[in-house]
Amino acid sequence: MCEFKKEEFDRLAAEWRYIITDMICRAGSGHLGGALSLVEIVMTLYRRVMRIAPENPEWPQRDRLIVSKGHAGPVVYIALAHAGFFPANWLKTLNADGTRLPSHCDQSRTPGIDMTTGSLGQGLSCACGLALAGRMDGKKHRLFCIVGDGECQEGQIWEAAMFAGHHKLDNLVAITDYNQLQIDGFVKDINTLEPLVARWRAFGWEVFEINGHDWDDIYNGLNKGIAVTGKPAMIIAHTIKGKGCREIENKPESHNIKIADAAAYQKYMNALEVTDVTLPY
Amino acid sequence: MEMRAVYAQTLNELMDVNPNVLCLEADLSKASGTNPAVARMHAENFINVGVAEANMVCIAAGLAREGKIPFCATFTCFAARRVYDQVTISVAYANNNVKIVGTAPGITAGPNGGTHMCFQDLAIMRAMPNMHVYSPCDAYELRSVIRHMAESKQPTYMQLVREKVGPVFGEDYRFAPGKAVVVREGRDVTVVSTGYMTSFAIEAAEELGAHGVRTEVLHCPSVKPFDVETLVESARKTHAVVTIETQNVIGGLGSAVCETLSEHCPTLTRRLGIPDRFGEVATADYLFNKHGFGVSHIVKACRQMMERKF
Repeated sequence: MCEFKKEEFDRLAAEWRYIITDMICRAGSGHLGGALSLVEIVMTLYRRVMRIAPENPEWPQRDRLIVSKGHAGPVVYIALAHAGFFPANWLKTLNADGTRLPSHCDQSRTPGIDMTTGSLGQGLSCACGLALAGRMDGKKHRLFCIVGDGECQEGQIWEAAMFAGHHKLDNLVAITDYNQLQIDGFVKDINTLEPLVARWRAFGWEVFEINGHDWDDIYNGLNKGIAVTGKPAMIIAHTIKGKGCREIENKPESHNIKIADAAAYQKYMNALEVTDVTLPY
Repeated sequence: MEMRAVYAQTLNELMDVNPNVLCLEADLSKASGTNPAVARMHAENFINVGVAEANMVCIAAGLAREGKIPFCATFTCFAARRVYDQVTISVAYANNNVKIVGTAPGITAGPNGGTHMCFQDLAIMRAMPNMHVYSPCDAYELRSVIRHMAESKQPTYMQLVREKVGPVFGEDYRFAPGKAVVVREGRDVTVVSTGYMTSFAIEAAEELGAHGVRTEVLHCPSVKPFDVETLVESARKTHAVVTIETQNVIGGLGSAVCETLSEHCPTLTRRLGIPDRFGEVATADYLFNKHGFGVSHIVKACRQMMERKF
């Protein structure tokens, strides 16, 4: 666990956003918006909450993270590289031929990835399986699972919600990246999730709402989720898609950007809050 | 003994010695034979997720990621068709050690009719990288296949006929993945079969034998990996091949045979099965006659193939 200093975390979050944007721009395209909306949450998980052992990615007592919105791979990769699961110079290989860092999370390729995801809706069910196995074996580790808001339109999410509620999987803490946007537009216009809090409660979950960019809110919310007994916990994190990159903030186009030339690269990099960052590769 | 009872009994035996073996069901546990047999004997290893097959498969993937050995059973139409993406991504692509059991394969789904008859599970599971595909033909083979599945770390799909079927093998039989079994030797024509249809293939071979036609019956419990060597050896000997399966002739065992022979030993081959049609509520005999893949049709096809090869 790292000591929390707000200024340091703020600076690091800005650096991560810079590096993630650079990684995706180098790859020529990628899911930037939904990675940037998760920076503070993923950083808090890996630096302040999760028990991990980067030198032994499969350490049995580790806390697990399943990123059900598997396209958020890049934000997980920077967290894993930063923690020391693999060398930081791997980051520049995002989506390159033969890479170990594919756009979507892949347990077979990347040290530290706890579940292969990418086909939306499946990860929360997988997380239920991991949680159930942990309980069967009497283990104390925690399971964290990040779902996308658009992803919650998948019926399977609610199959998993029902199962976790029925089985009272209190070692499971899920987080909804509620950035309000999906590929085709605003969630509320396409197929609303509301009343989202009531829905999760109706499925037998304890629900907390947080500002997904506020360090204290995230940390306290996660700890409240961990402390819940007798039911799974859902943390609905209100976030901004594309957070920190003015060019795409809160725009549907942020979901997957294409970078055709140097001008486009500069357009995205110049739109970041902090630009004096030394790339780790 | 019904095949589903053998499935349940074998799971119970495995669970007695390995607490990591799990039985997952999606509200068809009585149909699969595991309830009450497994549910009562090993309640802690029995998970019924309700009517939610996609959820079942991905929960199993999560369990497997933690070292469990989950067997997920449901009708083939759900085990293969309904959850194809879940099996593809969370199981096969992720290489999680999940065992999918498709019950009531092909025409054995009789009373449930067209909605439940799945004629393409061998085809679509065979086309999935990392996936092994098995179809045992009797209780002895079924037991051996299940034991192998529990020992192996391979994502696997297995067809499970639920009813009682006659014995083909004996107590000493041992299943080997990727190996076909010559259950009748012959040199005039080869019948290649798998699962439910093998006993019919043997019946046809015996009828042909009574009329002097020496029929080799090649039973392929392992549709994938497929035994190229044994098939090619048989085809080189007989120069005439008939395939038989309770599946669409597109994509299943017949396709595996034709793909193999066309690359290694081009041989005149006739595929018997469902000629690209959907199922319907009907008895086996009605469907055998309608689609031409019962014992009499196997006999006729073998005779025709022998005439054509000369």
